[in-house]
Amino acid sequence: MGNMREIRDRIKSINDIMKITNAMYLISSSKLKKAKKDLAATHPYFNKLVYAMRSILSRAPEDIDMQYFDRRENIAPTDRKVGYIVITADKGMCGSYNHNIIKLTEQKIAANQHASLYVMGQVGRIYFQRRSRSGELNVDAEFIYTTQNPTLYRARRIAEQMLKLFEEEKLDDVYIIYTNMVSSIIFEPKILQLLPLDAAHFVQTEGEISRHHEAEFFPTPNLVMEHLTPNFMKGLVYGAMVDSFCSEQQARMSAMDSATTSAKDILQELSLQYNRVRQAAITQEITEIVGGAEL
Amino acid sequence: MEKTFQLEILASDRPFYVGPSEYLVFPTVDGMFGVLPGHESMVTVISPGELKYQIDGKWHYASISEGFVEIRRDYVLVLGDAIELPEEIDAKRAAEAAERAKERLLHKQSIMQYYHSQAALNRAINRLKISKRHSHEV
Repeated sequence: MGNMREIRDRIKSINDIMKITNAMYLISSSKLKKAKKDLAATHPYFNKLVYAMRSILSRAPEDIDMQYFDRRENIAPTDRKVGYIVITADKGMCGSYNHNIIKLTEQKIAANQHASLYVMGQVGRIYFQRRSRSGELNVDAEFIYTTQNPTLYRARRIAEQMLKLFEEEKLDDVYIIYTNMVSSIIFEPKILQLLPLDAAHFVQTEGEISRHHEAEFFPTPNLVMEHLTPNFMKGLVYGAMVDSFCSEQQARMSAMDSATTSAKDILQELSLQYNRVRQAAITQEITEIVGGAEL
Repeated sequence: MEKTFQLEILASDRPFYVGPSEYLVFPTVDGMFGVLPGHESMVTVISPGELKYQIDGKWHYASISEGFVEIRRDYVLVLGDAIELPEEIDAKRAAEAAERAKERLLHKQSIMQYYHSQAALNRAINRLKISKRHSHEV
């Protein structure tokens, strides 16, 4: 059994740590609330956007520019240049959140010769850059974006960058790897194809086409489509960013919550120990005094 | 014929206005474009500028950056990247943004950066213009 001072110091330091974990818990929960609210506010816009693209595709003239839908099937699967946007956190302390994403990414790039990574978030960047230095990986060093407080502006920049790389044929496929929040305790890392655009997003029911198939495009269908595509991409990227951010905060919340709980358990045990040591010391002192008095 | 059409204006970060309207005017690539009820169906692109719509004879104004419009006989859908009421525009901030963009345009930069600065300057000037034009009404 340690002495009283040691135990007292230990109790104090655990108390301090508990204050930090508790504060992190509170911060995460308020960030989560805000991110969720922001996402909900953008929902009507993106629903309408998908709907508009769908209706354009359904009645567009034959010559419409479909370069973003081009699957480039003439390129063999082994030669395809695949880009992965990977969303990790800027910090640790959130359970297995980063670990899961990194694991999924490694699985994906292992199967591909020409993979390039576009990593968001400090933790993933540091991890993959260390590997890229040893020449195994291609990581874009200029791609620096934080995953804190996702904004549409940031999503737009990323979408633009990816579209440009795709247009210049520097990339043939673009995927985004992010964490999907299934429920408040279940997260799963997910992979979503961004480019080429998947026509399956825009499959429509018969009723919708017939309702408005005579519309005219002004000035040209191509121009309208050209405008919609980046916006749609932006929506997908933003959705993934917010989903990841929510998962991160939620993961951190539960990690910090369990940290606080175990800190409390340890404190309880320590204070019991402390009281025992104190009692033992008092008993010993009394025994000594009594022993002295008898002499 | 109906006197109004259903108007839905959605900004990318929030729904801006949903309800009936009598008249809508928005900027396109080659000038202003007006819509009355019973307009022919069409889809078009909005360029940054001033958007206005009439409800019960009263005009409402807003600043819009890029976006697009879908028009049907009794329904108009406006989707914009950013839509703001004149009183929501922070004139000081817009002026600062314009200054910054102008300064950036002076530097040598890549074509991509040049376009970004130019677009930023456009947006800032548009905001300033609209907030100035309607400042006396607030």
